[in-house]
Amino acid sequence: MSETTREPDARRLATEARDRVRFEEDALALSDQVYRVARHLVGSRDDAEDLMQETYARAFRSWRSFQPGTNLRAWLLRILTNLNIDRGRRQQRTPDLQPLEEGDYFLYNKLEASGDGTTDEQRVVERLSQNDVVAALSEVPHDFRDVLVLVDIGDFTYADAAQILDIPIGTVMSRLHRGRRILKQAMAETAVGGEQE
Amino acid sequence: MTAADPCAHCEEMMQPYLDRVLTDAERAEAETHLDECTYCRKRYRFEDQLRTFVRQAVQSEPMPLELKQKLADLRTPLQ
Repeated sequence: MSETTREPDARRLATEARDRVRFEEDALALSDQVYRVARHLVGSRDDAEDLMQETYARAFRSWRSFQPGTNLRAWLLRILTNLNIDRGRRQQRTPDLQPLEEGDYFLYNKLEASGDGTTDEQRVVERLSQNDVVAALSEVPHDFRDVLVLVDIGDFTYADAAQILDIPIGTVMSRLHRGRRILKQAMAETAVGGEQE
Repeated sequence: MTAADPCAHCEEMMQPYLDRVLTDAERAEAETHLDECTYCRKRYRFEDQLRTFVRQAVQSEPMPLELKQKLADLRTPLQ
């Protein structure tokens, strides 16, 4: 190979190496945010940690398929949710028809009725504990929880969540709607118990 | 509100309203009802605060430092 051929090759390799390092740094800078979502997509902390490592290993291998200028956090979460499904961590599918969940005002009404008579919204919220929320979230069926975690915790738009989960945007909206109600119902049961019907 | 039970309709609009995905007309309709109805206004404020509370509750567990290091170790070694 002549000197003139080697020089452009060397430049190309140097550019690629620089792009790869930048990609890896950008991806690592998002790891806290990705973990926050991963932690609540899967059942346990150990699973979340394994999934994070598998996700980053795959992302670093496939970095060329990321299109610069698009949403890297969504791209990483897409890998993570696919791996989560591939690894069989969430084999059970949510039946399409579940018992109808309560309405949107259910949790407030329940907390208000079971409390000390206060109707002040802030004080009603304060009757919930962090554990109530975490425990209730883990009870939400996977398909609903995926959307709930991406939108309400991960701060993704409906469109991003649709792309990450590879489902239509209308499905994101309907699962989110039901997921939030199921979550509130679970929180009500955790915080108040089911005796106040 | 156009439904027979305006509070039930407001309840249906609550999450899309908080998500800011209602049309201008729907939002105006929801806000008019919330201005007039103490029952729904209380529940709107609760829902708004609940979202913040849920987000904070589940974000309090940080990523373990060891995991952060493991991820960093997955980087491609520099030649």
